[in-house]
Amino acid sequence: MKPDDFESRLQRQPLRPVPTDWRAKILAAARDAQPACHALRITHHSWLSAFGHQLSTIFWPHPKAWAGLAAVWILILGVNFSMRDTAPRVAEKSAPPSPEVIVELKKQQRLFAELVGTYEAPAADRQRVFSPRPRSECGEILMT
Amino acid sequence: MKMPGGNDIEWLYDEHAQPLYAFLLNFTRDEADTRDLLQEIFVKLVREPRLLAGVREERAFLIRLAHNATIDLMRRRGTRDRTKENFAAEMTSPFAPTSDPDEKIYREELAAALGELPEEQRAVVHLKLWEGLTFEEIAAALAIPPNTAASRYRYALDKLRGRLRPLYEEIK
Repeated sequence: MKPDDFESRLQRQPLRPVPTDWRAKILAAARDAQPACHALRITHHSWLSAFGHQLSTIFWPHPKAWAGLAAVWILILGVNFSMRDTAPRVAEKSAPPSPEVIVELKKQQRLFAELVGTYEAPAADRQRVFSPRPRSECGEILMT
Repeated sequence: MKMPGGNDIEWLYDEHAQPLYAFLLNFTRDEADTRDLLQEIFVKLVREPRLLAGVREERAFLIRLAHNATIDLMRRRGTRDRTKENFAAEMTSPFAPTSDPDEKIYREELAAALGELPEEQRAVVHLKLWEGLTFEEIAAALAIPPNTAASRYRYALDKLRGRLRPLYEEIK
């Protein structure tokens, strides 16, 4: 956006300078407010503070995003653990199925197998299938 | 006194006190309040040096601190001090004094016109015109979307133009 005459004129208006005597007073107040432990930490720079500083450098740009990510992970872990706890209890509490249910299940299983084509009927249920054979073999059968 | 960014508090003051002062004064229009707020910001930086850790744009960050401090002050004071009558009576212009009578009148009118703008528009105008920040930088400093910063600037400029046009034409 190119500034027009009006904007340029506004921009040219000089701002009031900060009073020079404020510097010493404000900096003195800031020095007085410096906590003693902080001063010690600054001079000694322990490895812990250096590590903390590194961490804060990594996390500072998007602290909310990192916190959100951590919250999501905690939620996922929580849900995961709660699901794991309840699963065996459900298995323990459920009663064994009744004979009627078993019979019904077997019927359904058989029906399904028939539909799919993999069902093999029990020997008693199997129908005799006619298969033509040579007459000589038929004679052998009669002899025996 | 070293800060996390590696700079002294003295260096931070020399680098940023002037723009912060002008920004604060444009809101408070009171020297004592401005000084209190400026001191509050630098004391806060010393007490909580981690605030500056990892900050890429120190100026934008400090302006955000200044903006928040100003809003807090205004909330504490309530709406009483923000009425135009009080505002005009106690007003300290954010602009430098001048001996030129035309310029003096123009600066006074401009200061009054700025004072009539809503605070959010005034902040954007100040940062755009006198700090030379882009809308993205203003957005980062004030925690608003860049489009909002741009629209606030346009609205504010239209108001200022309407308010100062007669004077501007006269002086020009």
